[in-house]
Formats: sequence, C-alpha cells, structure tokens
Amino acid sequence: MQITINSNSYEATQGETVLDVAKRNGIYIPTLCYHAKTGQSAKCRACIVQVEGMRGFQTSCNLSARDGMTVQTESKEIIETQKQIVDLMLSQGYHNCLACERSGSCELQDVCYHLGIEKTTYADAPTGRKDESSEFIVIDYDKCISCGRCVTACNNVVVNEVLGFGHRGKHTTIMCDDNILMGDSSCVQCGECVQICPTGALTDKKSRGTGRGNLDKVDTTCPYCGVGCQITLHVDKAKNKVVRVTGREVWPNNGMLCVKGRYGFEFHASPKRLQYPLIRKNGKHERATWDEALDYIVERTKEIVAKHGPDVFSALGSGRITNENNYAIQKFTRAVVKTNNIDHCARTCHAPTVAGLAHAFGSGAATNSINDILESELLFVIGSNMTEAHPVVSYYVKQAVQKGAKMIVCDPRKVDIAHWSDLHVPLSVGTDVPFLNGLINEIIKNGWHDEEFMINNTENPEELKEWVKEYPVEVASKICGVPEETMHKVARMLGEAKKVNVIYCLGITEHTTGTDNVKTIANLQMVLGHIGKKGCGVNPLRGQNNVQGACDMGALPNVFHNYQSCIDERAILKMEKDWGVTGLSRKEGYKLPTMLHKATSGETKILFCVGDNTVQTEPNTAKTIKEIEALEFLVVVDIFPNMTTEYADVILPDVCFNEDDGTYSNLDRRVQFLHKAVNAPGESKPTWWIMQELGKRMGVDLGFHSAEHTWEDMRRTGTIMGGITYERIQHLGLQWPCPTVTHPGTPILHMNGKFTRGLGLFSHTTYRAQAELPDAEYPFILSTGRRLWHYHTGTQTRNSIGLENIFPEELLEISPYDAKIMNVKSGDMVKATSRRGTITLKAWVTDRSPKGVTWCAFHFHEAHANVLTNDAYDNVTETPEYKACAIQIEKVSDGVEVISRGFRQARP
Amino acid sequence: MSTPEKCACGNDDEDGLIERLEEIISSYKETPGALIPVLQATQSLFGYIPQKAILKISEILNEPLSSIFGVITFYSFFSLKPRGKYLIRVCMGTACYVQGANEVLTALQQQLEIKVGETTPDKLFTLDIGRCFGACGLAPIIMVNDDVHQFVKSSAVAKIIKNYRLHEPKTVEVQS
Repeated sequence: MQITINSNSYEATQGETVLDVAKRNGIYIPTLCYHAKTGQSAKCRACIVQVEGMRGFQTSCNLSARDGMTVQTESKEIIETQKQIVDLMLSQGYHNCLACERSGSCELQDVCYHLGIEKTTYADAPTGRKDESSEFIVIDYDKCISCGRCVTACNNVVVNEVLGFGHRGKHTTIMCDDNILMGDSSCVQCGECVQICPTGALTDKKSRGTGRGNLDKVDTTCPYCGVGCQITLHVDKAKNKVVRVTGREVWPNNGMLCVKGRYGFEFHASPKRLQYPLIRKNGKHERATWDEALDYIVERTKEIVAKHGPDVFSALGSGRITNENNYAIQKFTRAVVKTNNIDHCARTCHAPTVAGLAHAFGSGAATNSINDILESELLFVIGSNMTEAHPVVSYYVKQAVQKGAKMIVCDPRKVDIAHWSDLHVPLSVGTDVPFLNGLINEIIKNGWHDEEFMINNTENPEELKEWVKEYPVEVASKICGVPEETMHKVARMLGEAKKVNVIYCLGITEHTTGTDNVKTIANLQMVLGHIGKKGCGVNPLRGQNNVQGACDMGALPNVFHNYQSCIDERAILKMEKDWGVTGLSRKEGYKLPTMLHKATSGETKILFCVGDNTVQTEPNTAKTIKEIEALEFLVVVDIFPNMTTEYADVILPDVCFNEDDGTYSNLDRRVQFLHKAVNAPGESKPTWWIMQELGKRMGVDLGFHSAEHTWEDMRRTGTIMGGITYERIQHLGLQWPCPTVTHPGTPILHMNGKFTRGLGLFSHTTYRAQAELPDAEYPFILSTGRRLWHYHTGTQTRNSIGLENIFPEELLEISPYDAKIMNVKSGDMVKATSRRGTITLKAWVTDRSPKGVTWCAFHFHEAHANVLTNDAYDNVTETPEYKACAIQIEKVSDGVEVISRGFRQARP
Repeated sequence: MSTPEKCACGNDDEDGLIERLEEIISSYKETPGALIPVLQATQSLFGYIPQKAILKISEILNEPLSSIFGVITFYSFFSLKPRGKYLIRVCMGTACYVQGANEVLTALQQQLEIKVGETTPDKLFTLDIGRCFGACGLAPIIMVNDDVHQFVKSSAVAKIIKNYRLHEPKTVEVQS
C-alpha cells in the first residue's frame, strides 16, 4: 500500500505504523516513550502527526498505516504543539545537559534540538532526588520523564520484575521493588533499563565522567558465558581502556546483557595482568625475554620427549580463548609434538553432551537456536540455574512464559527460574536417568509418543520400548523422590505439547552418569518426535564463551578440528598433506583427568596449559596439586596469575578478548567475530603467535601469521566451518554447519528428523547412584555451580570494579530445615569438610536448598568448592561429578545475621 | 521504608497476624487477579499494609514486589502507614464543599492537632479526605469508620470526637 507523508508517497506494508514508515524513509518524528523492544505506549505524545480526515492529532507510534493515508508531520501547528508537550515535560524535574552522561546520545536532547527548545518556559522543578545506592546504576529522578520504557524493559524484556511505577497522577514515579533503594532491591543490575532510557535518568555509574562523544565504538562478542552476546565497547583510545559496554540490538541478545557482560570489563586493564614471560629460577618466577622463555620451553620439551616419547606431552586448550588459538594449540600438539594429548575444559562441563548427542544424533551440539525458545510451547528445563549462569537465555525463557509458553523446571534446588515455571520438580540429586526413563515409560504407555517419527527416523524404537519398561512411574518415583502424581502430570504435559524444547545444563552432565543423562534426554525428545523442528530440540547451554569453539577446533583427544576423527586414516592423511608433516599419532590422546593422573605415575611429564586454571577447577584440589607438582615441566599461558601459575616453570602472558581479532562459537553454534579494541599490556602475545614461534623453533612452520591466517589454515581442511570467512561474519555470526562460502548457515540441526548420523539411535540407560552418597559421617550432599556475579575462578570478575563489592565472598547455601537443626543462621561461619578437604565460609540459609543438600561455587580461591568435590568421573567422558559429593558441616562462630529480602535471590 | 510501627487497633501481635495472612493469601493462590482482594484482606487485618505483608504476598502469589506496591499506592483506600482505630474521612465532594466541608476539616485538624493523612499520637484517630461518598443530600458529611455523620457543622466536631473518646477504655496508651 501507499501512504503520503509530507506530500511524498511511500510504500507501506500491512502491520506497519506511520512511525515505522517515516523512520524507514529517514523522516524524523520526535519519539520518547516508543522503543522497538518495549513497543507502543503513546504516552509521551511527542510523536503526534496530522492525518487527513481524522480529527485532532494522532500519535504516530501506534497509528497503523492504511492505504491512501495522507500524513503531515511538520506543519506549524504540529511543531507548536510538540513544543508545548516537550516544554511541559521539561518543567517536571531538572533537565540540564551540561554534566549529563547522556549528552550527545540523549533522545530528549535530540527532540529539543529538533524543535529548537533551549529550556522550559515554565520554571524548573529540581528535587535533587537521586538514587546512587546501586553498584552500577544511577537513577536521577530529575531527568526522568516517566516514559515507562525502563519499567516495560525490566518487566517484559529482561523480565527481572524489579522496576515499577508507584503512586499516581503527578506523583507517579519509577521505583524498585516496594519503593526501596535500587542498591537494596532485588535488582540484578543487568543494565537493560540504562540501555533503553531515552534521557539521563538511568545511567551507568562506573563510566561517569569518562567520556561522551570522544569514544571509539568497537563491536565485539562478550567474553563470559556461552550465549555469545554481541556488545559494543566504548573505548578511550588515548587511555587504551574500555570505559563502557552496551549491548548490540542484534541476535543472539537483542541488546540485552547481564551484569558481568555490561559491567565486568575492567579486568583487561588491570595492573595485575601478566605482562612479561616469567621463568622459575631458584624457586622464584623471574622476568625473561620471549626468546629466553621460548628457547627454554623448546629445549626442555625436546629433551623430555626425546627421552620418553611424545605421549609424555599434554596440552590444554580452553573454552575461554578464541577458535584460532585453540586451533593453534591442537595443531602444534599434533603436528609438532606428534601426540593427540590435547584436551580442554569442556571435559569438566559438557563433554557428556558432545559424546551423548553425537552418539544419538551424530552431532554433539545444541540442535536449535536461542531464538527458538520464543516459539516453544513447553520449555522443559533440567539441571540449569539459568538466571545466574546464562542470564540472557533466561530472559528469553521468561519472555516465552509471559507470552503463554508452559515451563517445567526440574532441579533439586529451587533455582530462581522455577519462580516463573508452571511446575517445579525437585528430584533428588543424581536421579535424572530413572526420572526421565519413568517419563518416557509413561508417555509410551499413554500413547503420547510420536510413533511415526520413531519408526521412520530412528534405528531401534522397539528396543527402547522394552528398556523403559524397567522404569514404570512407581519405580522411578521412589528412586527420584518425585511423587507419582507429579510424574504423571509432567509426562502428560510433555506428551500433549506440540513443541517441547529441552534446555539443560551442567546439572545433567556433571555426574558420573553424565553421558547416560544426556542420552536419556535424547531418547525423550526422539520419543516425542521433537527434533529437527522449530521451537523444539535438545539444547544444552554451553558454559563458556568458546567452549563450543574449542571442541569445534579439535582441542579434544579424539578429533581434529570440525570433529574429524584423529584415528581415521583418511583424515590423518589429509592433515599430514595439508600441514606438510608426517608421522601424526595414530592413537587417541589422553583426556584431561587422565593427563593429570598419569603425572603421578610419570607417564605425563610436560603440561602445556593455556587459559585453564587447572588447580582451582579440577575436583579434589589436594590431589590436583599433587599431580601438578609431579610434572617435570609445566608451562602456563594466561592473562592473570592464578592458583595454577604458582606451580609453573614458565608463565607466558596471553592477550585477552579485546586485544586481538578472532572468533568465538556460542552455544547455538554461531561463530561470531571479535574485533581488536585496545593494545595488549606489556609484551603479551596471542597464543597463535606463541605456537608459531615454538613450532618454528622445533622445525615446523605452522603458518600462523595473524589470527586470520590461523583461521584460514583451519578452514582449508575444515568441513562444517569451511564456509565461514572473516569477511562474512564481520557484523553478524553464522551458525555451522556452513560448508561453503555461499551456505547461509544452519539454525536447526537434523531438520525434519534427518539426523546427521542417518537414523537417530536410542540408548539403554540405567540408574547408577552418585559415586559418594551421604552417610552418618558426611550427611550432606554438596552441589556446586556458578553465581551471577562471578565467573569461574574469578580472574576476570574479581579484577573488575564492583562485582566483588556485591558478592565479596563465597557462601554455603543450607536449607532452613538443616540450619535449624544445626543452629546455624545466615552469616555464621561454618566449616565444610569432605573426605578430601575443608573450607571455612559463611552460611546462607535459603529455601533454594532442599533438605540435606548444600551448595557453593568455586569462584573464590580463598574458599572454593573444589577442595571438597569428588574426583569421580563419568565412565565415558571422564567428566567429574561436581554436582554431588558428601560433606559434613560444623558451625565455627556466630556472625551478623544476613536477612534475605524478596524471594528471587541472586544474593542474600 | 522504615520499620513499621506497631498498630494500636487492639491487635499488637503482628507476627500472629502474619500467620493468619499467610492462610488468607494461600487460599487465593490459584485465583487469577487475587491481588486486590488479598490487599483488602491485609488492610482489614492490620489496619494498614505492613512491609512484611507485602513480602509475604509477593512470595506466595509469585507477584513482583513492584506491581504490589504500584497497586497499593494507586488506590487511596490502601495505606502503608499504621492507621488509628478510627479513620475519619471528610467528604470534599462538590456538594459537601459548598456546604462547608472545608471548615469542618479545619476544625477537625485543630481539634485533633494533626494534618490530613496523619494519626493522633494515641493512635486513636487518622484524618483523611475523600471525594463524594454519594450522600450529597446529607452534605456536609464525614465518615468515622463505617458511621456516617450528616449535616456536620464545624462547631459540632469537638462533640463527635469526644463521643468516640468516651467509649475508649483508659488503658489505650501510646506504644512504641
């Protein structure tokens, strides 16, 4: 259809508003309350236009375009009225731009500029009301125009439900929770309100006075979790520093971020960064030149390998570093040292996902995209504390629920996402296999399964039907502590929904039965026929920014990059030819725990560890330290000194996410670009450079001359990522499989039930209890995980300003029931002891924990969970059982009681 | 918000009341749109809506604190402050106003030594205003709890107050 705006004719499509058409054609109409994400509210009245045949003025933000409409946006009458409207708006509060953070990027300022308003013709009404209590966000009520964008964003975009309007009439004001200070409220400081505020009412506290128009903007990818949020770094080039971070309004995050992504960025400029190579001399780490350090590594490696063979060398890539760097490490290990002993931290988290899903479907990655969440009818969340570990995914999940999707949350703990669910199922720790098998049994019994899908698309449907007969609901219910009635209900919900999306995380994988758990989830979705469709699938939430990529790059002992088997002769010959080397190892390498175990028996002598704080992240720290100490030679490449660097013979300084180009692959297989924004400190070098230099010294030119060279080197022999070039992903990522440069990428795997492996394969899984059950001496189960405010071993988050103030020390979460018996209250110091060690930390009594279950994280080296965790491993992938060990608790001293406020708790 | 003061409406034991409130809220748990009835029940239980009641409602009804607070402050019937045993509301609707409601209000303020919205130190009286109670033929009127006083003259105010005081046992004291 055609509409006329200011005498010119424009094309408009059904569903567009007059404002949409005007914007698309570069016609400026002042708007303040409207935002694409928060939608129409027609509150501010600034966007008024005149329409022929309609009385008075119309607000263009909610005026649907109709064929033949004649619209006027710039008549004298309109301008005068808009001026009056804005004038009145300015008379509330105090709108002075001189020292305002938003000056230059303020929509109210733009409107005033457009209308030629310098100040209100009425009197200013400054109240001086300001809320600076929050760590990261300032509310200046004098600059608020009550447009409601922040309130809608908080309640309907990120769905954190903190901001609201209080009072009425002219007293209407935005407020947090029940009108308390933002810093005291349940605000999780995601900063969406700041990003969406059209004025200077909500601003970032940390970037005050650090610059407005003089900053460079660099688009890149967030370096924290696996969601892979797209961010813009605001960089002060002169100071070589990032001063602010904003979210880019593109997939996968649509501008939304979490507190770490938006406010945890200063670590890159921390004075604690490693800046120079260090060599241990006389028990101390002393500064060395790169030549000295590299020569020394080569000399020791050659010497030890010559004596004992290449398999005494092991290397660790990382889910934290770029694809290019992971590729560089694996190529060095395989082509130069000639061993397959390369692994990385996916071993400690999602290795069962890769193994389990590859077994069932032929591809070990998330089947669907993040945006599919919004299309699902039923979200089945199991073993995921997503509001803390993957906050941006949780925003989509909560949005889906608001739009009418049903949600079942299965987790022993009452994790916060459960508050948005229709049903929270607190199954006992480690009973996922019987629980899921019970559900499958019930689904098949009632004929809720997709018989056609099972017959046409899977290999062994009849076998599965037999297997699950072992777990009728009555049996399963007893094992997993879920009432039969609840199991019936869950099975019915799963069976009747047309689009079920299973989202899971480490609660599934970090068990001795991790791979079985994943296989059982795959069974469930194949029984329901919910694979290869939009809004369905099996979607593991990968934990780290590039743990998907580290797997894709072959930092694994059994595969080259792009999952090409390293014991497949054809693949080996292909690599030998392309890499220009011979004699690649023909046998699979050691998995991470094996590498370490073999240190004590002398079979591992060298560990080349990149971006992996092994001592703090592996279970049973005391044992890990023994293993690390048994090594003959330890090289650590990292950005900060940490618990592992203490034991290193050589420490090499690495660059971090914004100091070199590169790529990360996120949890929905999206390869996304990182742009260099600042210079690395001191003499830090990218890992690909280090590997190139080491290779050169050992007689192999690996061909790494830049990040892009390294990527191209991978691409030449790559398969599923062969079509992804730097040029194609400069602005938006691409999802693999993407085999050719014209391939558009693959948002959904196994489309229409055509599995990568051909037919889907059901697996027989049976219940095995956790390795260490609670007993009289160690009566509590300890489960571990990640907190919202910190990331892994805290090297980044604890070196950024503010996060540590919000959550300064680890807390042991104890159920109110157990706390009462032990006479422990929140804030008391307690000693938690397992068979492997003891930590002393504060207690937090919370009903998140069920009776008998305790929880803490591993972020703080002062008191971290891995001192206690059990070095028992999944029988297939050697993933440790971080989610369950037995501990005892002893009260040490009384503390100041910390009172939990509100029920959605990211902190006490 | 400051810690709520204790209410003097004869029920000091707010902790006990919270338990009763929990039962009430729970009975509404499955009812959509239960917030306003629950808030009304809270107000009649406590005489006002204490902060801990808001937290409880939020927890049991799974309702964000901000929406509860938004509703409370939108409706003038709800109060976040403890009220006196007797809530005096003066109608300031047009009919009452022209019949001298303003003078009646002034007299009440003088007599009780408080302003609109405040409560007397002995926690007996809270003074408030309202808009048209729908009894214009009886203007000006005031309501004391559920009692309607019609054709009120400013000179009669002292007597009305005295009558309520007379019915009070002497033991009612200011409690902190």
